[in-house]
Amino acid sequence: MMSTMLDQRELMRAEDSSCESFAHLKSAMPTIPALMRVLQFGDSVLPVGAFTFSNGLESAIEQGLVHDLDSLQEFVLVAAEQAASADGIAVLAAYRAAREGDEDRIDEVDRAVFNRKLNEEIRTMTVRMGRKLAEMADRVLDGHDARLASGWLSRIKDGKAPGCYPVGQGLLFASLGLAEQDAFAVHQYGLASMMVAASLRLMKLHYLDAQAVLFAVNCEAAAAYERIARSSLEDMATFAPAIDVLACVHVGANVRMFMN
Amino acid sequence: MKLLAPELAAYQSQPKQLPSGSFGKNALLRLRFETRGDRSILAFSDRRAPLLVQRALYCDEGLPSMPVVFIISNSGGILQGDRYTMEFVVEPHACAHITTQAATKIHEMDANYAAQTQEIRLEEGAYLEFLPDMVIPFRHARFHTSTRIKIAPSATLLYSEILTCGRQYYREGEVFQFDVFSSTVRAERLDDTELFVEKFVIEPQRAAVPRLGIMGEFTVFGNVILLTPPEHADAIHGQVEAVWNHEEQWAAGASRLPNDAGLVYKVVGKESSVVRAKVREFQALVRPQVTGSCVPPEFSWR
Repeated sequence: MMSTMLDQRELMRAEDSSCESFAHLKSAMPTIPALMRVLQFGDSVLPVGAFTFSNGLESAIEQGLVHDLDSLQEFVLVAAEQAASADGIAVLAAYRAAREGDEDRIDEVDRAVFNRKLNEEIRTMTVRMGRKLAEMADRVLDGHDARLASGWLSRIKDGKAPGCYPVGQGLLFASLGLAEQDAFAVHQYGLASMMVAASLRLMKLHYLDAQAVLFAVNCEAAAAYERIARSSLEDMATFAPAIDVLACVHVGANVRMFMN
Repeated sequence: MKLLAPELAAYQSQPKQLPSGSFGKNALLRLRFETRGDRSILAFSDRRAPLLVQRALYCDEGLPSMPVVFIISNSGGILQGDRYTMEFVVEPHACAHITTQAATKIHEMDANYAAQTQEIRLEEGAYLEFLPDMVIPFRHARFHTSTRIKIAPSATLLYSEILTCGRQYYREGEVFQFDVFSSTVRAERLDDTELFVEKFVIEPQRAAVPRLGIMGEFTVFGNVILLTPPEHADAIHGQVEAVWNHEEQWAAGASRLPNDAGLVYKVVGKESSVVRAKVREFQALVRPQVTGSCVPPEFSWR
């Protein structure tokens, strides 16, 4: 998976070779440290609590909507599509604001994401993971690189910023000097890997088939990036009524393994 | 010319009929409700074809002091190049019910698109039910609607949008064959503090609608927004059960909106009658909680 993502990234960088914003990255950032950072902060076991969420999959399985490999793949693909057209835009907006060092804009993106999370469990997920990411970046990054993340964390603690996860991802990847495509790819991968990991605990599924689902979903990410790369915050949109209702059904469920 | 929205980029050609937004296509409807004595009245109305209203009726037996206004269209539906504007104001402590005379048909289009903006303002203690009939987007319809709500913390707005897949039983079935349906609702306090934003864009040719997680096997979508003080929202939320009903083929659930704005209630089903009934059940929870009055059984001719 990772090699596919990186190939894609190289491809995009090559296409963007005329773009000055990436020119300095190529010279300043050797490939191995950059790759190691993408691997570390795109890791599905990054301690931000992703394993406690299923993003609606638990209800979908409980209701019998997702019951085999094909239905799982369709459901995860739809979820990834929705994530790209809403949170994906926020990842890029936060990344670009962070590159400018514009904290007001970062908070604006943060509120825009929060105000578009109409389901309370989904809202809880994004701010819980966002805060954990901020705490981790504050601790792990070197002094100068941590500046934006530490500022964001203190605004979250003061209740001045909601602390939504995609904002943290954009901010972190900008602070690390990685490309915005990396931030977007890791965002898409994080959602799909969370859901696929949950599926292994929720349904009868061969662990190698689960990887095949993840691989198929990841193949869509480059096209999704192309679709949203020039979108504004106002363009953030979703349409997944069934996922929305499943999230409501989950809130009221008696037996739950996951928090959404 | 600046694009209204990126999803409309492919639909900028001018109709060969009347130009977009010209006379007869630029409907305007402005309504203002206020209290007078022990009832509320439609104190002001301004209208431009093809939208019109006649005088308010006091036909709701559950709330006889509440003016009921039916929005009427004299063009038989929404056509390419139409630009509609609606503005509703409810003054302090007044109440009103706004609905449509019939389902809104969005006709087949081969040029341009139709767009609508709605501005709704509720002052302190105001109560508005805005429950239009369903929307039926025909094959190749392109529709953009943008709603901005301004609401005082003590006011209540019950707002619904029912979207069907098209003329479900026409010919071989017109199921999600429109080009684009884009709807944005933004709610703010009177001081401009944002409460929430919901934008959905449906482009069936680009992203298939009958997939798991989107509409699946369902064909009708009801989106109900209830903006109300937290004590009402909590009481109503406690009475709404989230259900996935496999036998009757519908599913529904409510969630608390961000910033203590109220609730959102979503229903999907395979028949508009089922979704309408669920929306009405939700209305029947809201009105007694907020106003102390009941919702009477629906008129048999509705």
